[in-house]
Amino acid sequence: MNNQPIDTSIYSTISEAIQTEAARVLSAGEVTAIVGYAAGRRKGSAQPIIITDHDDAKKLIFTPACVNNLAVYLTKAKKEIPKTGKVGIVAKGCDLKALVGLMGESQLKHEDLYLIGIPCVGVLASTVQPATELTTETIASKCCECDAHLPTGCDFVPDVALPPPPQLEGKYPAEIARLEALAPAERWAYWKEQFAKCIKCYACRQVCPFCFCEQCLCDRNRPQMVETTPRPAGNTAWHIVRAMHLAGRCAGCAECERVCPMDIPLNLLNRKMAKELKELFDYEAGFEVNDRGPLTTYTEKDDQSFIK
Amino acid sequence: MKKYISQQNLNTLLDNLIAEGRRVVAPRMSAGIPLYEPLTSSTEMVTGLLPRRSAKEAFFPVCEELMSYEKEGQQVKLTDVDPARFPETVLVGVRPCDAVAIPVLDAVFSWDYKDEFFLERRRKTTIIGLACTTADDACFCTAVGLSPTETRGSDLFLTPLVGGGYAFESCSAKGEQLITNHKELFTGQTKAKTLPLAAPQTEKIDVKKVKGWLDEHFEDPLWDGVAVRCVGCGACAFVCPACHCFDIVDEGTEKAGKRRKSWDACGFWKFTHHASGHNPRDLQPKRYRNRIMHKFKYYNDKFGQTLCTGCGRCVRICPVGIDIKAIIDTIMNSEC
Ligand code: SF4
Ligand code: SF4
Ligand code: SF4
Ligand code: SF4
Repeated sequence: MNNQPIDTSIYSTISEAIQTEAARVLSAGEVTAIVGYAAGRRKGSAQPIIITDHDDAKKLIFTPACVNNLAVYLTKAKKEIPKTGKVGIVAKGCDLKALVGLMGESQLKHEDLYLIGIPCVGVLASTVQPATELTTETIASKCCECDAHLPTGCDFVPDVALPPPPQLEGKYPAEIARLEALAPAERWAYWKEQFAKCIKCYACRQVCPFCFCEQCLCDRNRPQMVETTPRPAGNTAWHIVRAMHLAGRCAGCAECERVCPMDIPLNLLNRKMAKELKELFDYEAGFEVNDRGPLTTYTEKDDQSFIK
Repeated sequence: MKKYISQQNLNTLLDNLIAEGRRVVAPRMSAGIPLYEPLTSSTEMVTGLLPRRSAKEAFFPVCEELMSYEKEGQQVKLTDVDPARFPETVLVGVRPCDAVAIPVLDAVFSWDYKDEFFLERRRKTTIIGLACTTADDACFCTAVGLSPTETRGSDLFLTPLVGGGYAFESCSAKGEQLITNHKELFTGQTKAKTLPLAAPQTEKIDVKKVKGWLDEHFEDPLWDGVAVRCVGCGACAFVCPACHCFDIVDEGTEKAGKRRKSWDACGFWKFTHHASGHNPRDLQPKRYRNRIMHKFKYYNDKFGQTLCTGCGRCVRICPVGIDIKAIIDTIMNSEC
């Protein structure tokens, strides 16, 4: 398909609505802080910001560069962010799924949050400069298969008419099909090459809302559980641990893949796991709080065909 | 008249070096991204893209073995890695912001302890720098007193010319030697103009003023303001040409294993986590403060140099948009 511009004209109305609402709830003392996005130094860039003063509400924006899933700041792993009182958070649909997932895992309670949901047509891919226009080619892959453009269950959603989201083909289903069709040795060769690039910077873990463990197993050295050095053995172990520990929890925000400085297609593993979860347990991340995750509960209907 | 080497002669040089058994490291595509890696042929070299990781890894690898151990009965056998076995290397197509970091790193690796792993590779490597023709708005070499034609750190320096090929300039005895050894490839002369070079537009950094501020502001609200959102990964340090912290671990079983050194980063919470459980840098802003302090104050106090070449990699890569240039600008423009 040709490169087509995507209509993001609602984003300026959304920005204004966020500013007004943030100023209102901060002034009224309904929240102690708001986690949102503000402009950065580089042209078109956006970055997370935490504001506590209603005067700062004017800094809040929403643009195609607002890629971050801010849910990570509300987890217990982010000790820097005081969790006193009710905190407001700006959340796109995919981010909201993560917040809902954290509620299901008893990490967050909706009554402690003020959810500002964003009607979203998409954000930029990590491969383009922040000032790039949003088009069918510059859009993030996750947005191509998004089913969460309009969040529900939030405390506030800017009143805008969401244009029909562009119908796009995501790269993941085709890529998963391609890998599934490979012989195991070829598939292994593919992942080996990808994992070889990993430098264990753990950006993927640090941005993941579900990686809130106080001490990641992969960091342990007394005793060492997996090799911590960035070498084939430890890298592979790390990626298996990551994929398995997020199966049935990953909300699909694809932050891990976005931030990987080595462009390792981490979300492919997540999507593959999501596909398995759907097939085996009819489970999908969504907007409904579910405190019985597919891999933490047992039912007699569970697939047992693997027991031989 | 400029001294000139054609693209073809450069390729011949690299292929001859490879044929002679030299390790030739250059930017090449590796599983989808440009990285400095050993070439098997000159055609693999890509010059238009900034490698995702810097050239420091030619001297200071992501991970390397320091020694190995083996236990037999009550006997433990230790085997050192012999740096004499490191290969003679030519590192080519190096960006000025990467090349200039190497002599900056010499200071720390040959200070109180002579790091043979770094220094032996350094002795055995000839660096061929390449002027930049493209920059984006994250590049700020010009702000730290460098430029897309900075030759410091390079032994031989290439500037791309209109119509192809390069003007070359020898910058050290190693560069001279390389030319002498392959003189038939370095005989060209040309009047061709240089290609339009990159010109990063950013506010200049007054390194002295920044250091002066840092001297006085170990405690300052700025740190919380800029770094409360830092998620504590190693991305900024790992892509940086000047960051050089490393960790050493023993990996293996009780019977046999290896001692390995690998990159470490001050953004990690474990970086200063004491065995007692205490952590003097318990929160992310204190860790990020160290990043700025180390680059613009401590290294300056110790070695009179700045630990940032303005390559912009950390600016581009930070998952949460922490922009070292924006922070230094804020410091520069602060009143007290
Ligand atoms: S996945 Fe959906 S909600 Fe998330 S950024 Fe893309 S379009 Fe918006
Ligand atoms: S972000 Fe990428 S390079 Fe860093 S640890 Fe994760 S997979 Fe490895
Ligand atoms: S601090 Fe950032 S801009 Fe400066 S040299 Fe390191 S990676 Fe490049
Ligand atoms: S500044 Fe950015 S890249 Fe560096 S540790 Fe913090 S989040 Fe990671």
